[in-house]
Amino acid sequence: MTNWFHSWRAAVRIARRDAWRFKGRSFLVLAMIALPILGVSAADLTLRSSELSTQEKLERSLGAADARLSDPELGGAAILQSPDAENYAPAKDYENAPWPSGGTDVSKAVPAGGTTLVDSSGGAKLRTAHGLLQTEIRELKAADPMARGIMTLQQGHFPKKSDEVAATTAFLEASGLKVGQTLTARGFDRTYRIVGAYELPSDLKNSQVNALPGAFLAPYGKALEAAGLQSQGVSTTYLLKIDGGFTWNMVVETNKKGVLVASAAVQLNPPADADVPLFQKEGWNNYELSAGAQAAALAAIGTVVGLAMLEICLLAGPAFAVGARRSRRQLGLVGANGGDRRHIRAIVLAGGLVIGVAAAVIGTVLGIVLTFALQPVLEDSMGKRFGSFDVRPLELLGIALLAVLTGLLAAIVPAITASRQTVLASLTGRRGVRRSSRVLPVVGLVAVATGAAIALYGSVVSDQFVIVAAGSALAELGVVALTPALVGLFGRLGRWMPLSPRLALRDAVRNRGRTAPAVAAVLAAVAGTVAVATYAASRDAQDRATYRAELPYGAVSVMIDEDGGRDVPAVREAVQRHFPVDLRADVDRIAVGKANCSSMYSGEKGCGRYEIVVPKANVCPLWASTTDGSDPSERFTKEQRRDLAKDWRCASSNEGGAYIEGGLLIADAKLLKILGINDSAAEKALADGKIVSFDKRQLDKAGKIGIKLITDTEAADRASEKGLEAPGETKTFGTYLMPDGTKSYGLSGVISPATAKEAGLRAVPYGAFYSTDQMPSSEQRQKLDAEIARIGSAANLHLEEGFVSKNSIVLLALTVFAGLITIGAAGIATGLAQADAEADLKTLAAVGAPPRVRRTLSGFQCGVVAAMGVVLGSAAGVLPAVGLRLTEERQELKFYQQALDGGWGGVNPPHVPIVVPWETLAALLVAVPLGAALLAALVTRSRGALARRAAT
Amino acid sequence: MSERSQQAQQPVLQLQQLTRVHGSGATEVHALRGIDLDVFPGELVAVMGPSGSGKSTLLTIAGGLDSPTSGRVIVENTDITSGDRKVLSALRRRSIGYVFQDYNLIPALTAAENVALPRELDGVSARKARVEALAALEEMELGHLADRFPDEMSGGQQQRIAIARALVGDRRLVLADEPTGALDSETGESVLALLRARCDAGAAGVLVTHEPRFAAWADRVVFLRDGAVVDQTVRSDADSLLTGQAGQR
Repeated sequence: MTNWFHSWRAAVRIARRDAWRFKGRSFLVLAMIALPILGVSAADLTLRSSELSTQEKLERSLGAADARLSDPELGGAAILQSPDAENYAPAKDYENAPWPSGGTDVSKAVPAGGTTLVDSSGGAKLRTAHGLLQTEIRELKAADPMARGIMTLQQGHFPKKSDEVAATTAFLEASGLKVGQTLTARGFDRTYRIVGAYELPSDLKNSQVNALPGAFLAPYGKALEAAGLQSQGVSTTYLLKIDGGFTWNMVVETNKKGVLVASAAVQLNPPADADVPLFQKEGWNNYELSAGAQAAALAAIGTVVGLAMLEICLLAGPAFAVGARRSRRQLGLVGANGGDRRHIRAIVLAGGLVIGVAAAVIGTVLGIVLTFALQPVLEDSMGKRFGSFDVRPLELLGIALLAVLTGLLAAIVPAITASRQTVLASLTGRRGVRRSSRVLPVVGLVAVATGAAIALYGSVVSDQFVIVAAGSALAELGVVALTPALVGLFGRLGRWMPLSPRLALRDAVRNRGRTAPAVAAVLAAVAGTVAVATYAASRDAQDRATYRAELPYGAVSVMIDEDGGRDVPAVREAVQRHFPVDLRADVDRIAVGKANCSSMYSGEKGCGRYEIVVPKANVCPLWASTTDGSDPSERFTKEQRRDLAKDWRCASSNEGGAYIEGGLLIADAKLLKILGINDSAAEKALADGKIVSFDKRQLDKAGKIGIKLITDTEAADRASEKGLEAPGETKTFGTYLMPDGTKSYGLSGVISPATAKEAGLRAVPYGAFYSTDQMPSSEQRQKLDAEIARIGSAANLHLEEGFVSKNSIVLLALTVFAGLITIGAAGIATGLAQADAEADLKTLAAVGAPPRVRRTLSGFQCGVVAAMGVVLGSAAGVLPAVGLRLTEERQELKFYQQALDGGWGGVNPPHVPIVVPWETLAALLVAVPLGAALLAALVTRSRGALARRAAT
Repeated sequence: MSERSQQAQQPVLQLQQLTRVHGSGATEVHALRGIDLDVFPGELVAVMGPSGSGKSTLLTIAGGLDSPTSGRVIVENTDITSGDRKVLSALRRRSIGYVFQDYNLIPALTAAENVALPRELDGVSARKARVEALAALEEMELGHLADRFPDEMSGGQQQRIAIARALVGDRRLVLADEPTGALDSETGESVLALLRARCDAGAAGVLVTHEPRFAAWADRVVFLRDGAVVDQTVRSDADSLLTGQAGQR
């Protein structure tokens, strides 16, 4: 009849009722354990719910169709594809030759007996309540049963007539339009009525407008062309329904016609890899995450979970110790009634079990309820509707078990400590002085030494930061184990202190059992924070040192390359109006071919490009093009490449700057001033019809620059593949070369408008550069952004603000986090100390100590714990960060040597500074202990209740 | 209980040449010096003496909460001086019951659960332990208190529940350390009446008190001074004890 189960039941009953009797303390520990459980279970639910099954994914992409046929733009050449249609390649091997390009007629690949539904997409600039908005136009008969599932109707109906459209809720929100209003596009005289609102379940943030096939894109393209503008591209796919589904064999057959197929049947039952011709091709194997990478990810997650559990145990442990200390008499009574050590341990452990189970239940239930209640908010922020509310009981149970385990682990040390007390000592309330463990410091010392050695090896010998991180983590655990011994060292400072701090320090050192976990909790949190802060501050210093300004400080540039510069004047004026502009220089670009071409490299019909001719003698031998397509640098030895890297011909411009197509701008002398160049000779040269050049390599022997105008870009591409010169007319200009070391900000040359006109170069408005009187305010920037959005142009605006650190918010958040942990841990330890010190305080009061002694004592008790934790933590945190930086330096040095060997010009020796974040350290070392002390002093009553001293 | 029947029975508690020395050298204190004492079933023995005479030390050693420097303690024929911690705990669960001056009950448990605690710790199922506890409470006419928590009971009620717990199951020895110390005299009398009744029903009791009025409930009074027995008297001498003369040599 007798078994351990029955005595455990009694222990659990006592623990449960005690947890209820001391609600404040129980709630504190419960919250500490339940909050992370809530977060993790909510994250698990969200992740699992947002993971769609293949069936759900297919419904959202194909609707009720069996397949979607699309054009991979490979000119109709036969292709090979993966079963999921994510990857494809031409069936023929093209080696170094370019792949075929161009469209094919997908409708010819539709198998007999199949019914199709056209699904086309294009873009249009639509007029909104605020201005213009570039929007995707999707022509699909959404009301067709085959399309069901692709779009979810929210309001009204899908378009039934050619002058009706529906719009996504995201578009309606962004545009300020409503169902029932009319919709127009820029440069298009038709009007449409918005008859419905819908959403794309997997892309809630997409601004999209739905029209019937042929109702919008074709007439809109014609209208743009009539206005002399490029029409926006349209891609057309076919949804297909066929009896028996679209099998893998049919996919392979369709591929032969150069058409890509996403088939529902194939994705639900994918063929074996051996049956997929694409996977037989070299370099196209079915890629799956390697076991090693998965193990590494698991190890990382395990480490993070383990450290988090350790931190919670360190924080919650003292709370259980307080509980055990306060119910000492009760535990003594159990002992007097025949409870042996294992019963006492069971009662304290049951305290951990009860709180752990409660935390698990509350955390998991709240996690589920919150995720369920916040489902729409979560979906909106992820931009994706959940497939289904996917509760995985086993995973949630696993997470909940972590809470139970944490509760039990936190109660282990207090349980063992309480069970070692003799019954008599527990009953009489005598505080026997216990010697601290001698094993723990030795284990700690060994762990510190081993961890430090591993980290040192990692930072000095290898360039693997994982080794440094692992060594640091081990050393950190060692320091935690050493904490009781280190706390003892602090005690020696006591003799020079006044009464209250001396009492507090002696008390903390005498009762290491309760001080050490709290100090260790602070230590671990502070060490982590200091490590990240040191690393981030060092990284910041490095980024600041290597920052490349695009423009002089405070200068502004704005550039637009679409629609032949139609919106440029309006944007130029907008910047002038909203920013405190001092100087303004309008810039144009050289256009070759039609006037309304956008980018030179767009490949649009009738659009050409220009090149600045680099004389053969000035071309870096490492880069010179070869006729056989081989790598020219391979002809040189490592030493030769190192020498060539220092050659002026091979130097690559290493300063940053704006992206300027072709590098050449048409502008007057004001541009030079804005770029911070005060060179009267350059201004005179510009006025004299010369090009002001920033690049010596462009000049021929006569000191002139040639600009080649290429009208037939396809012929030019073919020539360059063969290593030949591109055909085109070259115009030559006199040149003024800027002195070496002049900052060019990405510009290779400037030519004046008059000179360009004289030479017959076609100038197209491109944008403007400005200098400002003062840094534009945030308000001014927002106003300008709004105005540019109203104009509806894709303007590329840059305001040079110098280096802006991205880390400051992170550092602040980390400091606040470490501060909170410190105050929390120190507060718990102080509560424990107060419970113990009640008798001493009464004695102090009896011998005439003023009431404030109680306050100052608790303040100092809190401060002492916080101070010990942050001092040890700061020391323990700086070292791993230094180790990490040293590894990084080794990595960069290795890269630098490779760059030198490869003959890459313009590579600077690595600069990997190590910076100690003094502000963060000061806040942690001074402000946090001081704040903790003041807080503890403030919340302590100066007069304790005059309770009867415990009977002895 | 008659002397004849006492002789026919084995003592429940035997203390033989018990000494206890606290500290050593200059701080050496002799708490007990060679105490001999037998307590028989049905007998209530009162231990009296001034503060520091060793009364409480005698009781803690008798219950195995402390160990003697020399001498032997035999409970129900088991020598507990040589026993290890587990044997002592088991003995406290099965043979020895304690009643202290106050705070005897576990605040988190009801009266019935408090009484059932030693049995549950011994591995008896909760249901069975409760049945036994309720039976014990009924027997002592305390059944109406079964489901009350300690803070819902008066001091006297708590002490009576503690006596019930001390004698639950097969326990026959109750060690009471000033059980009436925190009570008014009327309530104290009722507690002692209960203790007396339990002894009359066959239990053996040791009562530490410094109130002659309460010692009068005992069959025998042992008088301690400076750790040694200075006098023993039987119940018939109770009246002279009350006047304080019996203790004089």
